[in-house]
Amino acid sequence: MFGIFKGLGVTFGQMTKKKVTLQYPDVRINMPERYRGIHQFIPELCIVCNQCARICPTDCISLSGTRNEDKKLRIDTYDINFEICILCDLCVEVCPTEAILMTPRFELASYTRDELYKDMEWLYGNHLGEFGSHEQAMAAQAAREAEHAAAAAANGVEPGGDS
Amino acid sequence: MFSWQATPLRPLTLLGMLIGVVVVLALVLGIVTYLIYFERKVIGWMQGRIGPNRVGPLGLLQSVADVLKLLIKEDIIPANADRALFLLAPVIAFVPSFMVLAVIPYTASHIFTANLNVGLLYYIALSSLTILGIVMAGWASNNKYSLLGGMRSAAQMISYEIPLGLSVLGVVMLAGSLNLVTIVQHQATDRFGWYIIPQIIGFVVFMIAALAELNRTPFDLPEAESELVAGYFTEYSGFRFAFFMLSEYVYVFAISALATTLFLGGWAGPFLPSWLWFAIKTSAIIFFLFWVRATMPRMRGDQLMSFAWKVLIPVALFNVVLTGALSLIG
Amino acid sequence: MCALRSEEMILNVGPQHPSTHGVFRLVVTIDGEQIVDADPVVGYLHRGTEKLAEDLQYVQIIPYTDRLDYVASMLNNYALCHTVEYALDLEVPARAEYLRIIVMELQRVASHLLFLGTYLLDLGAMSPFLYAFQEREQIIMLFNEICGARLTYNYMRVGGVQWDAPPGWIEKVRDFTAQMQKKVPMYHQLVTGNEIFLNRVRGIGVISQEDGIAYAMSGINLRSTGFNWDLRKNRPYSIYDQFEWAVPVGKNGDCFDRYFIHLQEIEQSLNIVAQAVERVPDGPIIGKVPKLVRVPAGEYYRGIEGARGELGVYLVSDGKDKPYRLKLRRPSFVNLQILRKLLIGQSMANLIAILGAVDIVLGEVDA
Ligand code: SF4
Ligand code: SF4
Repeated sequence: MFGIFKGLGVTFGQMTKKKVTLQYPDVRINMPERYRGIHQFIPELCIVCNQCARICPTDCISLSGTRNEDKKLRIDTYDINFEICILCDLCVEVCPTEAILMTPRFELASYTRDELYKDMEWLYGNHLGEFGSHEQAMAAQAAREAEHAAAAAANGVEPGGDS
Repeated sequence: MFSWQATPLRPLTLLGMLIGVVVVLALVLGIVTYLIYFERKVIGWMQGRIGPNRVGPLGLLQSVADVLKLLIKEDIIPANADRALFLLAPVIAFVPSFMVLAVIPYTASHIFTANLNVGLLYYIALSSLTILGIVMAGWASNNKYSLLGGMRSAAQMISYEIPLGLSVLGVVMLAGSLNLVTIVQHQATDRFGWYIIPQIIGFVVFMIAALAELNRTPFDLPEAESELVAGYFTEYSGFRFAFFMLSEYVYVFAISALATTLFLGGWAGPFLPSWLWFAIKTSAIIFFLFWVRATMPRMRGDQLMSFAWKVLIPVALFNVVLTGALSLIG
Repeated sequence: MCALRSEEMILNVGPQHPSTHGVFRLVVTIDGEQIVDADPVVGYLHRGTEKLAEDLQYVQIIPYTDRLDYVASMLNNYALCHTVEYALDLEVPARAEYLRIIVMELQRVASHLLFLGTYLLDLGAMSPFLYAFQEREQIIMLFNEICGARLTYNYMRVGGVQWDAPPGWIEKVRDFTAQMQKKVPMYHQLVTGNEIFLNRVRGIGVISQEDGIAYAMSGINLRSTGFNWDLRKNRPYSIYDQFEWAVPVGKNGDCFDRYFIHLQEIEQSLNIVAQAVERVPDGPIIGKVPKLVRVPAGEYYRGIEGARGELGVYLVSDGKDKPYRLKLRRPSFVNLQILRKLLIGQSMANLIAILGAVDIVLGEVDA
């Protein structure tokens, strides 16, 4: 009989504990820096090397590019099919110019499957966010990184963690 | 003291009766709505959660929304179900749960109480009718899980009816009456005070048997979600499902009220008005039921049965003998 | 007089059933509440991982292993990487080994917590489930910080790990370990001592040692029979030999032993993590690995102690950058084979207790 009362004690003690749940749509979980969410794509940086499409284990990236007058390759279309993307990060790892990156954004629910097929414009918009242009977004990013580095330096740890 | 039985039936008293019935019904519906809310909150708090908090301030309208949703849902009757029984079962389960409320003395002035001289018997007799509804539901659904659930609950509720009946015998012996009002009044004058003290064995047996009667954890085998996928009401949806839920929670309230009446001195208490005392004591017992639910795993069928027959009934019988012997000596 | 015989009934438990933990179907023939026959039907979650792997480079297979035993992805990652490293005869840097051990043992704790919670949920107790998930959530957030995912980590690579620990991560792990070590007694108070729980799991679903071995069981299922067999000790891999810890074994092979060993293993894993975080060395996190991994032709097998038993990877290579054949020995699948034997003669209520204690994950059963 004794064990039952012990159990009752445990549950009763929990009543006053701090609640752990979040009020989700109002309060969002704070995703860490490295969080592998939905991609962002920066056409300015892409050199159309096709490495990302080749490494993708689910073949969900399709891209195409053309050669400029100055012989440079320029990206024309870049689509990711989020129906099958497994957010594995391999494309980001291989990209030599960091043209494709992952964001902390994780909500992708939609009413139709078609909406999960994201094109270059959408992915670029995901990168731009509230900023008007790529330059501004990059400047904000740099500022954030500098701030981060300063904070890390203040804490006595080297940025990046490669001690 | 006021008694409905002693008043002659005139149009005015009939009207009074009707109003009384409607008031009790509305009150109980309100109580049940907030009982569900209270349960979800308490269990949530015990599990590090907040519980309902979206509909209305503090989630107070959550149960209302749930009931509303159930009421406007499509009423599905499985093609192979026994139609007549399927439709009848929720009603049979539900009606007695409200009828038992007639004898509970909520306040010192018994406007809403039938004041039957066999009140306790009436309660126990009627509450066992619900089993019929549950077995019927299990059978009529034509679903194997429901059938198993219905069978389990028949076995369980009939077995636990006996210790439940025996456990209150001690109280009846002390008070010398089956009338719930008389029992409360006796507790005020008894030398031990509330019957929970002289009848502590009876009280424990009563609480355990009551949990089993209510099909609540740790005795919730008939509706074990993880085994039987909700048991006898697997096939029910919409407002028929709501009827089962409703009757379950009305019983939670009714049995807590009965425990208050029998063992905790009913409405009696200093300073505060009698109905408030009654509410406080009943809430304490209801809280206990929820607390147990948040803690316990489920028992197993055969253990449940042997527990009823080998432990509870002998203990309850012993309690009866003990009470008899003590009152002979005293 | 002949005994009264009632008609038998065939009951489909699953594929959609709250207690099968996924899409698992069990066709049971019952006589009243007694089980006369039980026939597990698997394959509802089959995704053909082994076949898919034949068309993928090694680095591309790793995210697929995440989806085998999806509550213990780190261990699956490791099983594959370890086999390829073994085939390549590759040296893994010390820091990487330590990081791997930390995440793997944390993963084992998380996986066991999940078992604990869901098992009690099956038995009808709601609260332990939510308590266990609170703890598990902390581990998952730690993983989220180090590799950016909460469930499918894709953290390890051939020759090391992909991400180094972010600043302050090791300290967080240390804090968590200390705090979790204090939490374990709460589970004993809440669950282990509960008479109702004990009555439901003691002496139920007993596996004898001979049966355990004959059915090729492994992991906690085998250890619960009293057979001391833990690959981390018996066929040491990685750097487990540098830590001090014990292998908990049971006595009776019943559901209670299996439950209890889960809790004890949580303690032991925390023990290993606590030792590991104290001595994580500096250095590179990935060894010298060619950009395109080509495994020399041949056959290789390595088994590691997964959360549910021996998680083996059998690799046949013909020298290309893709495996010729990849066979995964999934412990859940192997352990499941004894289910029929355990179930016959039991009651319906025990079905859930037994199935839960065998502890299968459907992603792993069906691969
Ligand atoms: S995250 Fe993985 S699956 Fe998604 S696009 Fe990149 S490589 Fe492909
Ligand atoms: S790997 Fe990077 S640079 Fe190359 S095609 Fe993909 S996005 Fe463009």
